[in-house]
Amino acid sequence: MLNYASVINEEKSYSGLQMREIKPVMKLIIRGKKREFLSAIGKSLNLLLPTEANTSSKSEKLSALWLSPDEWMIYSNEISNPDNNDYDTENLLNKNIYKTNLGAVTNVTDQFVLINIKGDKIFDLFETGSPFNFNVFRAKKGSVTQTILAKIDVIIHNQNKNEVNLFVRRSFSQHLFSWMNDSASRL
Amino acid sequence: MFLINCPYCGEREQSEFKAGGEAHIVRPKQPTELSDDQWAEYLFMRKNIKGIQFERWIHIHGCRKWFNVARDTSNDVIKAVYKMGEKPPTN
Repeated sequence: MLNYASVINEEKSYSGLQMREIKPVMKLIIRGKKREFLSAIGKSLNLLLPTEANTSSKSEKLSALWLSPDEWMIYSNEISNPDNNDYDTENLLNKNIYKTNLGAVTNVTDQFVLINIKGDKIFDLFETGSPFNFNVFRAKKGSVTQTILAKIDVIIHNQNKNEVNLFVRRSFSQHLFSWMNDSASRL
Repeated sequence: MFLINCPYCGEREQSEFKAGGEAHIVRPKQPTELSDDQWAEYLFMRKNIKGIQFERWIHIHGCRKWFNVARDTSNDVIKAVYKMGEKPPTN
C-alpha cells in the first residue's frame, strides 16, 4: 500500500478562484506510433485517443490528453481507492499494449500532482506567469496544453468554462502552489 | 523574443523552445579514414552566418519533438518551419 503523502494539504480560496489537489487519481502516460496501437487502446478502454493537437477525449471513467503526436496522458475522472495502487486500466493496457509490443505504458500517478482550479479568474492567474496565449484555449472545452507557468512545466486541461485541471511534477508542486497563492492574492 | 510555429503544437513563444544548433550536418560515413582536421571540421565548425540559417529546435516545454527552422539571424524572422528528415526549402 502506498502512502499518499501530499505537500498540498489545504484548499485555498480567493475571490473568483479556488484551488485544491485532487488525489489519489490514476495517471498513465502511453506512447505509441502504430495504427494498431490507436485501435488497441480504443478497444481496450472504449475511448478514442485524440489525434488532433492540443485536444482531449473523455469517456465515463477516463480522460485522454494529447501531449505529442505519439504521447498521451490518461487519467481517471474519479478518485481511486486510496488503499490500493493496483489499477485495472494499467493492468489492461499492460496486457494489450505493452506485452504485444504496440507501445509503452508508464504509471505516473505519483509523478504528477493534479491541482483543480475553479473560478472566473483562472486565466488572469495564468497570464501572470505563462508565455502561452490562452485566448483560443479558454473558449474551447477539452483543450489541452503543455506550457510553462512560473518557469515550471505544466499540463493544463480545460474542463469546463470556469474549471481547469493542472498537472505538475510532484517535486515542483509545493513551489508552484505557493506561487499561485501568492499571485492569486494580488489579482 | 519571438514566436515559433511548432509543426505539432502550433504557434508558441520562444521560451518554450530550445535551440539545437545548425541543421543538416551529415556525419561522415567513415570517421576512421578522416584526418584530425577533417574530423574537427565536422565536430566543431559551424557556419554562423548573417542571414538565413537552417537550425534545429526542440519544443522542450511542450511536445518534446525536434524540428527544423529557417531563421534570419539578423532580425529573427522565421522563414520556414519543417519537420525532421524533410529537405530544407529552396526559396
